[in-house]
Amino acid sequence: MKGIRGISKLSTRLYAAQVARKLDVSVEHVKFQPQEVQVTKLPSGLMIASLDNYSPGSRIGVFVKAGCRYESPENQGVTHLLRLAANLTTKGASAFRICRGVEAVGGSLGVTSSRENMIYSVDCLRDHIDTVMEYLINVTTAPEFRPWEVSDLTPRVKMDKALAAQTPQMGVIEGLHGAAYKNALSNSLYCPDYMVSQVDSDHMHNFIQNNFTSARMALVGLGVEHNVLKQVGEQFLNIRSGMGTAGTKAQYRGGEVRVQNGSSLVHSVVVSEGAAVGTDEAMAFSVLQHVLGAGPHIKRGSNPTSKLFQGVAKATADPFDASAFNSNYSDSGLFGVYTISQSAAAGDVIKAAISQVKAVTGGVSEADLTRAKTQLKAEYLMSLESSEGLLDAMGSQALSGGVYHSPEAIAQKIDSVSATDVANAANKFVSGKKSMASSGNLIKTPFVDEI
Amino acid sequence: MVSYQNPVSHQLIDGGMLLKEWQTDFATTGRLLVSFRKWYYNAAGFNKIGLMRDDTIHEDSDVKEALRRLPEKVYNDRMFRLKRALDLSMKQAVLPKEQRTQYEEDVHYLEPYLKEVIRERKEVEEWSKK
Repeated sequence: MKGIRGISKLSTRLYAAQVARKLDVSVEHVKFQPQEVQVTKLPSGLMIASLDNYSPGSRIGVFVKAGCRYESPENQGVTHLLRLAANLTTKGASAFRICRGVEAVGGSLGVTSSRENMIYSVDCLRDHIDTVMEYLINVTTAPEFRPWEVSDLTPRVKMDKALAAQTPQMGVIEGLHGAAYKNALSNSLYCPDYMVSQVDSDHMHNFIQNNFTSARMALVGLGVEHNVLKQVGEQFLNIRSGMGTAGTKAQYRGGEVRVQNGSSLVHSVVVSEGAAVGTDEAMAFSVLQHVLGAGPHIKRGSNPTSKLFQGVAKATADPFDASAFNSNYSDSGLFGVYTISQSAAAGDVIKAAISQVKAVTGGVSEADLTRAKTQLKAEYLMSLESSEGLLDAMGSQALSGGVYHSPEAIAQKIDSVSATDVANAANKFVSGKKSMASSGNLIKTPFVDEI
Repeated sequence: MVSYQNPVSHQLIDGGMLLKEWQTDFATTGRLLVSFRKWYYNAAGFNKIGLMRDDTIHEDSDVKEALRRLPEKVYNDRMFRLKRALDLSMKQAVLPKEQRTQYEEDVHYLEPYLKEVIRERKEVEEWSKK
C-alpha cells in the first residue's frame, strides 16, 4: 500500500532532523567574546577604528575631513563632483572593473558627504574583504579623474540638483547655511549653477592633494580585525602626510534668505548660533531639541509630547508641522525651529513656535526633562542599531575627537544635563542674532527682524 | 596584499604631444631602416598636404571615441590640418616643400588614446565572456 511503501523512504529523508543530530555530537562550541571598539592612531596621523561584531557581512569606511566647508571660492562644487566621481577610473582599476569587481563579490561601494566629512564605504561578505578593500583604497588614494570622464559627470550633477530641488527642505536648509555663515559652512552641498560644467580634473586633483591627507583620515571597519585594518592603513593610506590646507573658522553672521515661489506650503526655519560638536552645550541643545519636539514618534498622531506642536496647534487650525532644528559642526552650530505651514497662517505659526522656545527659558519641568533625555538616548541608541549608523558614529567620533565614546558613556553625559543647562540653551537662542530661510508663498511670512 | 592591475599609462599632461617612442620600440634602429621609413613616409604623400599620420586614420567606433577624448588644443590643431588639406585637395595643389610635414615632426598624438580605448573595449569583452 502506498503509505507503507513511503515509510521505508523515511530514513533517507528527514534531512533537518539528521543535521540537528549531527550538531549535538560536535564537541566544542566556539565561544565568541563580545568585543569593544578599538581605536588606534598611526604615526602618520591616520586613525584606525574597528569593531569585530562577528557579523557575516563587513563594512569598511574611509572618513576624510574634506566636506564642502573646505571648498575655496575658486573650486565651489568640487565636493559634489567628488561624490559622483567615486566610481571613475583609478590607477589600479578602470571604472568598468571597479563596478563589475564590486558587483561580482556582491558588495557595494558608496560615498556620502556632509559639510564636515566625506565618507567612502564598502560593504560585502566577510570573506571578500580583500577585494573590495583594494577598490576602496584605489578610489580614495589614486583616482585619475580623466578629463573626459569628469566632463561626462555633468548630466549627473544636473540630475542631482534637480532631485534636490524637488524637496523644499533641501532648498531651505542650504539657503539657511548660505545666509547664516560668511564662509566655510555657507558652502552648499551641491554644485552652484555657474560651476556645473566648470569643475574640471585639475580642481579635483588639487582638492584631493590639499585635503585627503593622512592626518585628516580615519579608516573604520565593522566586522574586520583591527590588525588587518592597521596593516592596510600603514601600507596604503599614508601617501599624503601633514594636515593639508587648514580650514577656515566658520563665521556666523545671521542673515535671511527668502525664496518666493507659488507653493501654498511655506517652509521656514529660524535659527541662531548653537554649539559645536562634543561640547557640553551641544548636549544641552540636543536635550532642548527633544524638549521642544524633534519629529513625531507616532505616525499621524497628535504629537502630544512636543511643546512646539501643542503651542502652534493653538495658533492655527490648518495643517502644520513644527520641530526643533539642531546642527552641530566642529566649530559652530545652529539651533532653532523649522516650521511648515499654510501660507496664510505662516506668521502665526512661526511666532507661536518661537514663543514656545521663550517659554522654556523660564524653566522646564522635571517630567519634560526626563522625557526629553529618554527620547534623546533612544534616538542615539537606535541609530547605532544599523551597520551604517554604527560605522558613521565610530568614524565621526574617531575623526573629530580621536576617541570613541561607548553608548553608556554617552547616556551618562545625557543624564548629566540639568534643567538650568536647557534653560540657558533656550536663552542663547532667544537672545542670539537670528538667521532665517523661507520658501513658498511668502506674503504673510514675517521678516527675520519682525519676529 | 593583493597586487594592482596596471593599465597602459597615457601621458595626458603636456597637451598630448608625445616624443617619438615608437622609434625606440624596435630593436633594429639602424640607419638603413630609418632611411627606408623616411622614404616611405614621403612616398605616402599625405605630408604634402600638411597632414600627420594620425590625421589619416580611418574613423571607426574606437577612433571616434579616442577623438572625443583628445584635449581641446590637439583636437583643434587636427581640425585645422584637415581643413587645410581639404582646401588644397579642392585646389588640386600641394604645399611648398618648406611647409610640408617632415618625418621628424610627425607626432602620433592619437596613439595613446586609441590604445586605451581598445584596452577598455577588450576588458569589457573579457568580462562579458564570464
